[in-house]
Amino acid sequence: MTALKAAVSVVNLGRIPYGRALEVQQRFVRQHLDSLFQFPNILLLCEHEPVYTIGIRQAMYSAEEENRLKNLGAEFYRTNRGGLITFHGPGQLVCYPILNLGCFKKSVRWYVCELERTVINLCHRFGIKASTSPDTGVWVGDNKICAIGINCRMYVTSHGLALNCNTDMRWFENIVPCGIHGKGVTSLSQELQREVPVTEAVPPLLEAFAEQFNCRLSFEDLHINKENPVTEK
Amino acid sequence: DDFPQSRIAVTVCLVGRDRACDDGARPSDCLEYAIHYSLYAVKMAMFVSLRCVSANFSSVLPLFSRTIRAPSVRLSWKACTPRTLSTASQLSAALKFTDKHEWVRVEGGVGTVGISNFAQEALGDVVYCGLPEVGTKLEQMEEFGALESVKAASELYSPLTGEVTEINQELADNPGLVNKSCYENGWLIKMTIDNPAEVDALMDEAAYEKFIKSIDSE
Repeated sequence: MTALKAAVSVVNLGRIPYGRALEVQQRFVRQHLDSLFQFPNILLLCEHEPVYTIGIRQAMYSAEEENRLKNLGAEFYRTNRGGLITFHGPGQLVCYPILNLGCFKKSVRWYVCELERTVINLCHRFGIKASTSPDTGVWVGDNKICAIGINCRMYVTSHGLALNCNTDMRWFENIVPCGIHGKGVTSLSQELQREVPVTEAVPPLLEAFAEQFNCRLSFEDLHINKENPVTEK
Repeated sequence: DDFPQSRIAVTVCLVGRDRACDDGARPSDCLEYAIHYSLYAVKMAMFVSLRCVSANFSSVLPLFSRTIRAPSVRLSWKACTPRTLSTASQLSAALKFTDKHEWVRVEGGVGTVGISNFAQEALGDVVYCGLPEVGTKLEQMEEFGALESVKAASELYSPLTGEVTEINQELADNPGLVNKSCYENGWLIKMTIDNPAEVDALMDEAAYEKFIKSIDSE
């Protein structure tokens, strides 16, 4: 049986506050669930102002820790994704696929693996040899180039991946990224020893995603107003 | 009046101890069942007690103001006989499944909940279990927690309506039990069963096997 390619609409949110992006994601997830999974699959692309976020293992990060990081000039969010602490900021390409895994494969393990492979595919296009490790994420040697952390609710995904393009890596020095001691972080710019902005990484990321997930990408305008709630298409 | 139904059921049985039950069961049987009866298995008690006796029960109510915590013997609504009881217990020990790949095992009016082998394989290695507090009231299909694996947090949905009575403390230090022993030591929560009909409507093992085969072939 030839599988029909799933369709995914790409929405570029540009520079958007983390909190607003969360609201947009949650609204799309809700629409998937309310429409009994008739809602289109969506790939959100964006960039955030400096923010530290943590996942469901909230007890590991105290109010004190939260304040310490906020005092450094970043926002702080406790979220419902998997994974520990990470940083998002300018120069980092953030991608939130809001997919109904019923269109692909109903396995969270499979989905995360495909996200990792997508990023490895993208790195390959830049001539960078990246790999996975027992720690989820995409690594160049002992340095993580892309963090991954997702939520899955009734097979609808949210959150996603964060690829360092020309991020100011000093922000990562304030935390133990993803709770992994003894390993570092890197970016496309660091690996290639030249400035690689987010805009340069978007087309190859989309190509890699379409290839890995065997899907058709389209670029529909979903009338997302960054200030106000999302309206129906 | 607004007595909780469970209180009415239990006290009527107690008052009836000096009289023979309509269906021939001995009064001492009724009393024993009443004492061990869990306050939460309302429907069962209502049927049993109404057949036992009619009485003025208001003076007996204070005896049952404390919550009865003893593990309960599941009462058959048909009669207060031990034989019916043991048959019901055997039947209720089988696993029932939801379409969200959770299982429920009913024993003595308490439901133990976990995730199926299909689910634990699809999740990957569980590193953290986010579970509700004891006492949390859940509606069927309500989110009650999440399991984290491979940087993914996957929500859990309550298979039944009831109240959480216990959570598996072992999972705090050993979340991998959910993968290694998903049907036994990797259980997640125990809960009361407010609506036994919900259990009946779940898939039995054979139906669940068919269900996951249909997913795999999608």
